[in-house]
Amino acid sequence: MKQLRTALLLLSCSIIPISCADVRAWERGYLARDEMTWDPDPLESALNDHIFFSKEASSGGNSAAGGGCGCN
Amino acid sequence: MKFKQKSQILAFLALSAASMLASAVEEGDTAPIFDLPSIYSDQPAISTASLEGKTVYVDFWASWCAPCLTSLPLYNDMYHKYKDQGLEIVAINVDNPIEDGLDFLEDTPLDFLIPADPDGDAAELFEVIGMPTSYLIQPDGTVTLVHMGFRSGDIDMIEEAIKASLAGN
Repeated sequence: MKQLRTALLLLSCSIIPISCADVRAWERGYLARDEMTWDPDPLESALNDHIFFSKEASSGGNSAAGGGCGCN
Repeated sequence: MKFKQKSQILAFLALSAASMLASAVEEGDTAPIFDLPSIYSDQPAISTASLEGKTVYVDFWASWCAPCLTSLPLYNDMYHKYKDQGLEIVAINVDNPIEDGLDFLEDTPLDFLIPADPDGDAAELFEVIGMPTSYLIQPDGTVTLVHMGFRSGDIDMIEEAIKASLAGN
């Protein structure tokens, strides 16, 4: 039982580094595409924001700029 | 036994973390040696050996990186200005497929060396953190400037560094 628990612990420890594998700076071509942004259509999202603001009396906090290409 | 197990697990975790934290090329380091084919199929390969004795400005770029595309025509002007004084510019393209890079070059012809690195081999050697990143390398191989990103006004700072480097030759 104890051995099984240790084996499971080791297995989960080995999975953690795999899940942490990051996308390197030069591999972000797909992430930099327009369709990968949170708001592919700024006009539509501005309209949605406006409707949401009018209905809910709240605004902001919807998205962050950029698609994660790591550019400026 | 318990202590042994715990220390084994800790050692395993430490090794995993260390493998993820490879160090990037910094100012004062010796530039890594690379050998890459040109993006143009009719041009010879570009290697550190063929650049020996020159002040080399290495820039990593891709067609999907907007600031890179802003910087390249400015580098082209700078290349023409200083190439007679011994400046070489090597703009390593990391596009995969390389046709994306070639598409950009069709509209914006550049006169300096452009190696293709679609698998990121050279980018891995330099441990590039962001795009674009550029390195000013002295004739003796020492990196004297690491510049990440490209904003308006950066070109003046880079030109000053290149001028200082060429004056020191």
